[in-house]
Amino acid sequence: MSDQVVEDTLPADSIAADAALAASGDASAFERLYRTHSARIHSLVRRMLDADEADDLTQDVFVRAWQKLGTFRGESAFGTWLHRLAVNVVLARRKTLGVERGRFQTGDDPLEGVSGRRETPEMSMDFEEALAKLPDGARQVFVLHDVEGYRHEEIARMLGVVPGTSKSQLHHARMALRRHLDR
Amino acid sequence: MNDQWTDLLSEYVDGELAAGERSALEAHLATCGDCRATLGDLRRVVARAKSLEDRAPKADLWSGVAERIGAGRVVAIRSRRFSFSVPQLIAASIALVLLSGGGAWLALKPRPTQGSAFGPRTGPRVTLAVSTGRTDAAIADLQDVFERNKSRLDTSTVRVVRQAFATIDRAIAEARTALQADPSNAYLNLHLADTMRRKLELLRRVNAIAAAQS
Repeated sequence: MSDQVVEDTLPADSIAADAALAASGDASAFERLYRTHSARIHSLVRRMLDADEADDLTQDVFVRAWQKLGTFRGESAFGTWLHRLAVNVVLARRKTLGVERGRFQTGDDPLEGVSGRRETPEMSMDFEEALAKLPDGARQVFVLHDVEGYRHEEIARMLGVVPGTSKSQLHHARMALRRHLDR
Repeated sequence: MNDQWTDLLSEYVDGELAAGERSALEAHLATCGDCRATLGDLRRVVARAKSLEDRAPKADLWSGVAERIGAGRVVAIRSRRFSFSVPQLIAASIALVLLSGGGAWLALKPRPTQGSAFGPRTGPRVTLAVSTGRTDAAIADLQDVFERNKSRLDTSTVRVVRQAFATIDRAIAEARTALQADPSNAYLNLHLADTMRRKLELLRRVNAIAAAQS
């Protein structure tokens, strides 16, 4: 039946409808959009910046989205538009914090912040924890490329580096994280 | 294993090596167990990254968002829980659709200026064309379910439900007719999408209640 049809088709149309209603000032429709997308946005923010920033920045993303809904034309999915807006908010915050200083210098060692495989299971660090301990540059490239699916050219534009730097940071991040794979 | 080769492994995993480098690396991999092991690890890291699950924030952040966008009062009202009977729900849906239908009629009336009242809050006017094809299919499916299960509801309820559907269908038809004349009218697009969503919600509620009668 229909249950499958409804599960597969309703969200996209109802999200488009809610985005249109929210753009006209309907806060209830915007709350539905928040409920649908908050986990994804919060996870993105948490992975790209410190966990203790995630709540505040997630709220910033949705407030910014509300302010900018008038510019959403429906040419892409609302989720894609919101996600890109969230990345921009995170990167702006990163600049404010000044955490980018020196992070893309060639001498930066992404392995430094992540210790090796632990000897005992109780001391082991899970993958998300290990990701959080990567230096900011390597972490952001890894999240944008391997978790979120952006290409190096896009990442380089967002971060203001050359694609080769993005590739190099990604490789170092992966090499560090391989020590924390579940075995 | 040495850095000359390991530095190429991520690009190899991503399929970004030029043909010459790829062939040379593959020849090396055929003879180097350490590099093969590292390659396997990197592939598992990439797979692990793609499998990370999103987690909702521990605290509900909506109240903070609502306050900042000036929707606090609306939220306070929405957060109350109400319980309605089926006829009440249907009556409420009819009222909502009629109100929206009235709005559509107003939108169709000639206006001296393009309606800022229905435009976006800021910036240029939104031009929307919400696709309704898949919603039509979902409505048709749910309507089939209703026809199969309506015998579980009493006759008077079925009659009220049919009247509600007829009212909603008229509103949808009017919006579609109006959109043929003015496809880029933002309010009409919003009205059509909202009315269809209301019909879906009503169908789902009625079907759920019918299913619970078995």
